[in-house]
Amino acid sequence: MFMFKLISYLLGYVVILVTGEAPEKFVNMAAGRGIFLWDVFRSGDRAITMKVRLNAVKPLRHIARRTRCRFRICQRRGVPFHAVWLRRRKALALGAVIFLTALYFLSTFVWFVEVRGNEQLDTFEVLEAAEEAGLYRGVFKRSIEAGRVEAKIQEKLPLVSWTGVYIQGTRVIIEVAERTVPGEEERRTSHIVAAKEGMVKEVLVFDGYPVVKEGDTVEQGQVLISGEIPPYAEEPAPGGKRTDDESEGDRQPRYVHAKGIVRARVWYEGYGEAGTVETGRRPTGRSASWVSMDFEGKEIILSGSPDIPFENYKVETFVKKIPDWRNLNMPVEIITVKYIEMDDYRLERSREDAIKLAGERAREAAAKLLPENIEVREQWLEDVTSGNAGDPVRIRAVMETIEDIGRDKFFTP
Amino acid sequence: MSWRDFKRKVQRQFSEYLEIPGDVMLDLPKIILVGNIQLFIENHRGIIEYTPEGVRVSVGEGEVAVTGQDLMLRNILPDELCVEGRIRSLKFL
Repeated sequence: MFMFKLISYLLGYVVILVTGEAPEKFVNMAAGRGIFLWDVFRSGDRAITMKVRLNAVKPLRHIARRTRCRFRICQRRGVPFHAVWLRRRKALALGAVIFLTALYFLSTFVWFVEVRGNEQLDTFEVLEAAEEAGLYRGVFKRSIEAGRVEAKIQEKLPLVSWTGVYIQGTRVIIEVAERTVPGEEERRTSHIVAAKEGMVKEVLVFDGYPVVKEGDTVEQGQVLISGEIPPYAEEPAPGGKRTDDESEGDRQPRYVHAKGIVRARVWYEGYGEAGTVETGRRPTGRSASWVSMDFEGKEIILSGSPDIPFENYKVETFVKKIPDWRNLNMPVEIITVKYIEMDDYRLERSREDAIKLAGERAREAAAKLLPENIEVREQWLEDVTSGNAGDPVRIRAVMETIEDIGRDKFFTP
Repeated sequence: MSWRDFKRKVQRQFSEYLEIPGDVMLDLPKIILVGNIQLFIENHRGIIEYTPEGVRVSVGEGEVAVTGQDLMLRNILPDELCVEGRIRSLKFL
């Protein structure tokens, strides 16, 4: 059905109104002679509207005469009629042709070059290599030789292990895969020192000389693994005599870049207190505001009233101004004043509640000190309330973690 | 039994024996009804009457009457016909 309609549209069709004694006869005869009729509907007592192809209009005249009907063309549709319409508007037709030609012409160039997959490499470097092989913005698309560009990029950039050049419309995508190159080893001599104080739990030395051992308490900055390896204290060979000519030069300490992991128990302390009676001021949630416009010192109230409806309140003022642009300075400001009602309150809580609250606060304070992504091994609370009655409850929270406390510190031997 | 009836009987038996569809052999109309919105009639002989409330179509022998509302002849070809609208009934007269 769609094909049928499309062909009709291309060939052109007309909507005709058939009037007469028996329009059905007209329809039958037309159908019998192989004329396509569609969308036939009765539009009046003795009238039928239908659609028919343009090339069938001539035979229809004959049929109309034979069946004593008259027909009138109501609408003309389809490509042939559009062509006639377009012939009268030559500039429009020309514009359309120019537009399509320009679109086609411009689509034969590369407009965007994109580099994907580069992590260590700079996009610019890849683009530069591609440009040498004749791929850059504005180049004629047909002149790109993908193989040559790929070869050139690999030749110029040894870090690239594979490249692919894809042309997608006016966009060219250069995909690169990089080799992983082993990083340069750090050769400067260094110690590993403690970044924080704690108690050493385990020491794992890759290179260097361990200064601390398990169970030691270390302070911040203390050397844990030394980059200075003392000469090996040789045991005299059993039964043998120590040869004296073993050079003293070998007895010099060796200097290395110390490597290793020192894990220690670290404690974080937080403190919190809570009184059994608490007084203060807090917002009730009610507020009133008014907006005014300040124009050259004159204040014009836009909404609200400047009367303060509250007894206790806090004032917040926002000033909105159009930012200065060149020498223009708008002398207009919008001022919003907001009154927030405050209320005195007094809270009494039992000692248990106070301890709970203080503990919570202490724990929060301690948790703030914790480094990210660390597991708390153990935590406890200590009551450090002074003996005086009426004093607030004071709680100290301690959190214990186990973490790598080592930090490189360079030194020159 | 007239000669015409006899011929018809032979034709029917022949078509049943060879399993040839009736619309090919016997020149019967093939009617396809899609819900109550669309009706295709193949092998028709012309339209006898058409109004938005009813369509009468001549077929091999007799006629087919369709009644309904807002009926419209969607498509007319020499041997095929499509009626669209709200179809209420289909009758062989």
